[in-house]
Amino acid sequence: MGWYNKRLARSLWVYHVSASPCNNCDIEILDLLTPKYDVERFGIKLVGSVRHADVILLSGVINKKVAPMVKRIYEQASKPCFVVGVGTCPASGCCFNDSYNIVERRSDVIPIDMVIPGCPPKPEAMIEGVVKLVEVLNG
Amino acid sequence: MNKNVIPIGPYHPLLEEAEYFTLVVDGETVVDIELDIGYMHRGHEFISESKTFTQSIYLVERICGICSTSHPFAFVQAVEDVDNIEIPLRARYIRTLIGELERIHSHLLWLGLAGHFIGYDTVWMWAWKWREPVLNMFEIISGNRNHYGMFRIGGVAKDVDPSKVGKLIEILDEIEKKIEMIAKAAKDDPVLKSRLKGVGVLTKKDAIDFCAVGPTARASGVPIDVRKDEPKAAYDLVDFNIIVTENGDVYDKLVVRLLETFESIKICKQCLEKLKTTNGGIRNNVKEISAGEGIGRYEAPRGEVFHYVQTDGTNRPVRHKVRAPSYVNIPTFKASCKGISIADALITLASVDPCYCCTERSIKIRDKNFNLLKFDLLKLSLEKTEQIKRQMK
Amino acid sequence: MADYQDFLKIMGDKIKSKIEKPQRLYFEVDNEHILEVADYLFNTLGCRLSTATAKETYQGIEVLYHFSHDKTGIYFCPRVVMTDKKNPRMNSITPIVRGAEWIEREMSEMLGITFEGHPKPEPLLTRENKEVMKVPLRKWRWQ
Repeated sequence: MGWYNKRLARSLWVYHVSASPCNNCDIEILDLLTPKYDVERFGIKLVGSVRHADVILLSGVINKKVAPMVKRIYEQASKPCFVVGVGTCPASGCCFNDSYNIVERRSDVIPIDMVIPGCPPKPEAMIEGVVKLVEVLNG
Repeated sequence: MNKNVIPIGPYHPLLEEAEYFTLVVDGETVVDIELDIGYMHRGHEFISESKTFTQSIYLVERICGICSTSHPFAFVQAVEDVDNIEIPLRARYIRTLIGELERIHSHLLWLGLAGHFIGYDTVWMWAWKWREPVLNMFEIISGNRNHYGMFRIGGVAKDVDPSKVGKLIEILDEIEKKIEMIAKAAKDDPVLKSRLKGVGVLTKKDAIDFCAVGPTARASGVPIDVRKDEPKAAYDLVDFNIIVTENGDVYDKLVVRLLETFESIKICKQCLEKLKTTNGGIRNNVKEISAGEGIGRYEAPRGEVFHYVQTDGTNRPVRHKVRAPSYVNIPTFKASCKGISIADALITLASVDPCYCCTERSIKIRDKNFNLLKFDLLKLSLEKTEQIKRQMK
Repeated sequence: MADYQDFLKIMGDKIKSKIEKPQRLYFEVDNEHILEVADYLFNTLGCRLSTATAKETYQGIEVLYHFSHDKTGIYFCPRVVMTDKKNPRMNSITPIVRGAEWIEREMSEMLGITFEGHPKPEPLLTRENKEVMKVPLRKWRWQ
């Protein structure tokens, strides 16, 4: 469905899922909407329901209580839907790998397509990640 | 009498963390509230038993992103309390400077979110726009916008470059003018007052019973502030006031936070002036910590952060206990939510400035037949503001 | 009061052992006296409960309360030691200090202590989370 992806890339709608984060990445994601970085000029906006979303932004290291809900949210999203992990937590677990409450393999819960590392990643890094996603979608 | 139960679901677009409240309503009035947390619990106390003290500082910073200075500040003071370690004068000023800059950025963040909840999106955009210079100051001092990594046992890690002090004072002057403008606009607006006055009142007796801390307690008339009760770092060397008001409603909490921002700017300027003339090192070399117990605390933007450390002579803590301010402030919802209408539920819940990641070091959602998610509560809250505006015309 | 010597005189022989440091007083009391001590600290002296720590030591399970006297900055920390590790029980101070409800629920979840007289003894952080390890902060696993 190559032509579908190209239409999608012109204006991506984003849904944000926070699965036990420390909140820093969430605040930096919201910072993208404020006047200094302003991603709404690219057509990117935050939506309130996952059924309207093209991209799911995942932040945080997933803990055992939240894991079934994250899975259900991914299943409810209308495909094609891309999952982008923001921060070091979805990439590698940051410093929480020894804990008793963290799932061992994040890919069992939700398949992550792209990761933007950083603790927290700067807004410029997040915009670059989105640009790369748009380039991939455009072929 | 028909009582309905409305769950306010965890994943909602603006409140970042998942939290689950169940409101028991009777028609339009809220009768009771139940809380259920656990979504952000990552087990910090379990992990820190296997890390050294310096590694624990990095771990403790990541308990919460907004109060990312408060937790290392209190932890480092707890370890220094075991042996009564002294820190050099220049390090004391730098620690105070970072702590107060964080208070400015956190209060501006709250102001933006509160504005969004009652429908004033312009306040949101302005408050977050003028938060960016504060984050630039952090980048000049420490290299990162959040999660600075500046604290060490015995002092701080990096020094403030003397050639940059002039620029930092300029940025502070600029921010002060803009925040004065926002404060004046908020004070003069009649819709804001009628929306926020008398809503979600927490009486003084309830604040003392629930052991509330921070602006939540100070807005109800309880004058507690760790910066005056047990001054550490440079708080006994600078001049500032604490702000206490009487009514305990959401409007008072807004006033307390705005006035505290101005006091913080005053403290930062004094610290920067003193840094121009103080010389000396920034860190005392600490070789070992003896066996014992230590308590450290700090006044975070949300209240008192408490850390307790037990050591046994090695370089790892035996037991490390963390208590964040939202842990004691969130149960006060039970007392302040009685008798308000559903449309005001969201702004009352947000006025305590809850930071769930600090509390749980987690949040929950349930699906029942009557499901009002945050999006719906947000819509109800915005509709009430429109209604008030129409009545005022 | 500038220090805690008056408090030590009033409590008398309820205090079994103590550690004195500048601005900090850690002392041990029995389970039957903890309600009296908490009542005196909260209602008469006007202290505020900051939190409580529970830990497991060689002798038994210990619960350490932290009361803060805000006017002077002194911390009073009464300690209760329970020697029965399989089934530790002690009196709950929630009827006196309402803010202790969540604090005691967390302690009973992390270490398995039973607080007698607590109005709502349910797990707080790991409720409905069937996969989590039970009593994670205990070092010796009891069957």
